[in-house]
Amino acid sequence: MTDITSIASTTPRTVRIADDAMMAASISPAQYRYHHGSRVRPINWNRIEDDKDLEVWNRLVANFWLPEKVPLSNDVPDWRALSERERITTVRVFTGLTLLDTTQATIGEICQIEHARTEHEQAVYTNIAFMQSIHARSYSSIFSTLCSSEQIDEAYRWAVGNDILQERVDTVLEQYESDDPLKRKVAATLLSSLLLYAGFYLPLYFAARGTMMNTADMIRLILRDKAIHGYYSGYKFQRGLETRSAEDQRMLRDFTMDLLERLYELEIEYSEDVYAGFDFLPDVLAFVRYNANKALMNLGYPTRFAAEETQVSPEILAALSPSANENHDFFSGSGSSYVMGKAEETDDDDWDF
Amino acid sequence: MTATATSPQFAIPQAAPDYHALNAMLNLYDDNGRIRFDADHQAVDAYMRDQVEPHTMRFTSTRERLAYLLDNNYYDHRIFDRYSDDFLDSFYDHVEHQGFTFETFLGAFKFYASYALKTFDGSQYLEDFPQRCAAVALELADGDEQRAIEYADAIISGRYQPATPTFLNLGKAQRGEAVSCFLLRIEDNMESISRGINAALQLSKRGGGVALLLTNLREAGAPIKRIEHQSSGVVPVMKLLEDSFSYANQLGARQGAGAVYLNAHHPDIMRFLDTKRENADEKIRIKSLALGVVIPDITFELAKRRERMALFSPYDVERVYGVPFADISVTEHYDEMLADDRIHKTYIDAREFFMTLAELQFESGYPYMLFEDTVNRANPIKGRVTMSNLCSEILQVQEPSTYREDLGYEHVGRDISCNLGSLNIAKAMDGGLAGSVETAVRALTAVSDHTRLDCVPSVRRGNEESHAIGLGQMNLHGFLGREGLRYGSDEALDFTDMYFMMVAYHAYRTSHAISVERGVRFTGFEDSVYARPAGEGNYFDRYVDGTYRTEPRTDTVRKLFARFGVAIPSADDWRELQTEILRDGIYNAYLQAVPPTGSISYINHSTSSIHPIAARIEIRKEGKTGRVYYPAPYMNNENLDMFEDAYTIGWKAIIDTYAEATKHVDQGLSLTLFFPDTATTRDLNKAQIYAWRKGIKTLYYIRIRQQALEGTDVEGCVSCML
Repeated sequence: MTDITSIASTTPRTVRIADDAMMAASISPAQYRYHHGSRVRPINWNRIEDDKDLEVWNRLVANFWLPEKVPLSNDVPDWRALSERERITTVRVFTGLTLLDTTQATIGEICQIEHARTEHEQAVYTNIAFMQSIHARSYSSIFSTLCSSEQIDEAYRWAVGNDILQERVDTVLEQYESDDPLKRKVAATLLSSLLLYAGFYLPLYFAARGTMMNTADMIRLILRDKAIHGYYSGYKFQRGLETRSAEDQRMLRDFTMDLLERLYELEIEYSEDVYAGFDFLPDVLAFVRYNANKALMNLGYPTRFAAEETQVSPEILAALSPSANENHDFFSGSGSSYVMGKAEETDDDDWDF
Repeated sequence: MTATATSPQFAIPQAAPDYHALNAMLNLYDDNGRIRFDADHQAVDAYMRDQVEPHTMRFTSTRERLAYLLDNNYYDHRIFDRYSDDFLDSFYDHVEHQGFTFETFLGAFKFYASYALKTFDGSQYLEDFPQRCAAVALELADGDEQRAIEYADAIISGRYQPATPTFLNLGKAQRGEAVSCFLLRIEDNMESISRGINAALQLSKRGGGVALLLTNLREAGAPIKRIEHQSSGVVPVMKLLEDSFSYANQLGARQGAGAVYLNAHHPDIMRFLDTKRENADEKIRIKSLALGVVIPDITFELAKRRERMALFSPYDVERVYGVPFADISVTEHYDEMLADDRIHKTYIDAREFFMTLAELQFESGYPYMLFEDTVNRANPIKGRVTMSNLCSEILQVQEPSTYREDLGYEHVGRDISCNLGSLNIAKAMDGGLAGSVETAVRALTAVSDHTRLDCVPSVRRGNEESHAIGLGQMNLHGFLGREGLRYGSDEALDFTDMYFMMVAYHAYRTSHAISVERGVRFTGFEDSVYARPAGEGNYFDRYVDGTYRTEPRTDTVRKLFARFGVAIPSADDWRELQTEILRDGIYNAYLQAVPPTGSISYINHSTSSIHPIAARIEIRKEGKTGRVYYPAPYMNNENLDMFEDAYTIGWKAIIDTYAEATKHVDQGLSLTLFFPDTATTRDLNKAQIYAWRKGIKTLYYIRIRQQALEGTDVEGCVSCML
């Protein structure tokens, strides 16, 4: 037993206040594995180095949502009215999306933290990683609302056994172990901006035809987030690229085009497989190309596909808009337009009546 | 019940139907940066050609069609039996030759998806728009041929549009009620709670939204049978109600929908609000039930003085005052209750309370607000208004019921049913305002007369005694834009003031005429402000003594009415009407209520209610229609600047517009406020304070618009641009 009085009587140790040199030498916890023994600095949101970090952070916080807010069970009658094949395809597509979101939540965002350019960028990835877990979780909410356990298990077995799906994830995961942090960013951007969209097509297609509206609401909330995630990784890639040598820049450009090509091929193959027999397949492929261009634009490169190759049906394209300005009917759904509010106290002038 | 949905469950076409694509082009600019209105017209044509015509059942004559619909129990023969075959032949010939066409894809799509009668298997349409209007008119007219033609003409021309439950149901053999809204009190006992849940189920089954008052329920931790800490408060009752509403729906046509109202000074108020939190626990989360908070003046005063606000135990208040909490004016009795030790109190900070309201409105759009003292000062009928409805425009007095142990009624109180319908301001101005109001009031009264809700006796009694109706207005922004007036401008406010004054005049004139024709006035007329002697606080004194203007204050508006040939009633006209009403009474205890008009404004080619447009090209999403694009009525590529959206126009112009209308409306008006996501809770609070000061009675949803982060939006998208 420690004597309480002896603790109280010890003299407090003097703390050396860090001078500028010590502050400059200090590191963020994420860099510790490369700098054992260094002093570690707490994140300071009052010293912003890149305004984009705060802007994106604020947007992510404002966009926070949980699957529980969407009344998915209102889709049950629509779900019953779908054909057996439409139902199976939906479940498979969502399992595929779950796999990508799981990858992104547990590795894709996390692996960008240690090489972040600012400490705030690190915080942004933790936030994004959490939302990716919410996304992965939300597909399960759809399943548990609409499907039986057997159907769900079947879909998971399909995902694990599907070679194309596996190869798609392998290709990205391999890059997440790359020594070059910018290669990780390219992979993360392509996943967020390109790979998911073949899967998103189906719920948007349903919604444009007035069925499975609440599921589409949830997908649109996910899309609203993904647009920011891909944009942010791409933005940070461009900042990193600016600091590289011309040779490095050429190498990364070739790398990006090569990885895009491989992932594009896989995405096409996957789409043809999962949507086999659906008449809208050509439109899905155009949609994939549209998003491939979008991914390249996020990374600061010119587009890969010509405008006529990316002519997506207007109703799908219009549904893709991340702006939350739809005018929904409160009685049948919760919409995808609400955000967390910014609290600000009123002052006496406001109450001057 | 959900299995027999009335909408045709056509298999999803695998080839992309081009009408959806054409419609979506509205949301994408053409190469010259112009909105493609023509694409939407092509979408209408494609939809009619590819979807409607191939799926419409054909008949060679009206007689053959009606015989089929009556023999197969689609139409109610009791309605059609009241007319001769010859009349029906000429009547249908008349309505089918009015040259009606849909002006937008959404209008057509919405009509055929949600309103048109279909075969029981959902595979074929049995009605087009004029034929739906005809069936509605025939039932409303109840055998009166002249009226049938009058109603049909008003509806087909778009001057008058009945609300969804009326427009959807009338004439049909398999149908729900024609009434839009029900409001029920719940008292602080288990019998009343059970009756409330039963009513929620019964009324949802028949259609229409149901609102319930929770203010009287004892708070969490209050005693039961004098044993302390027993009650679990209002939240579990809300959960029961929410589940009841999602269980019952109107033959699948309409999801059951409900609202609950609670006084701001109820001790459970924060728990009530927390049910809408984004991170609320699943056990207490409320997803689809709408919430409304009843706010007395004193709450604003306390916030102004930076004071804490007392929450009063309804259980104790009822024991001290001998009446339920809702029947006490908190403002009047605040100090008294504060000093009374028999009433248990808890405290919250008044300004923080307002901030919490605003936070939740950001997250969920709820709660609605009802300014209790404003409402009761303006209420012409004896009694107390304690709540509103699902759309916050119905404001009427009620009377509590008492029940026996077997849930039978010991005393049948009065609750509320209200049927609604709206004038299209532009078309009413074009086609004659006085006549349009008269037709509408008679059509609404016909629905009230035909409604007999045996399933909830207190609602039946309320309707039978009051004949209350709710005449609304829509397409204000469309009309203003067409006439080159800017929403919220001085001229637009002047127009709104005068227009609503005239609607009130003709509505009272018609209700008086009905009263004279039938020799019946609403029960309680003698105790109402309408019956007070002239000059001694009579309702109409304000129009006679110059308190309210009876002519336009701007030249523009004076000329506008002259151009449309609309005569404005003078103070003398009002005096004459006042004298007649004092002598004969009026038939309807309540006449006006301005609903938000969602679906019906699309089929009627209107802007919603008297709001500004939400967007030039509105993205409309509903359970049945999917995501569809709707261009503002009367907007073209030349007059775009007259069609600023509500977020740009801002809350002040909206509140000013509603304040002009509110003066002339005996019930309420659904008022939505629109904010960009850059707003803070303080901006919402400022708008709410302003609304309360301007005499607004209720606030409906708060809508928040978030712009895409720069760099993440879709190029060339109309709705992405400000």
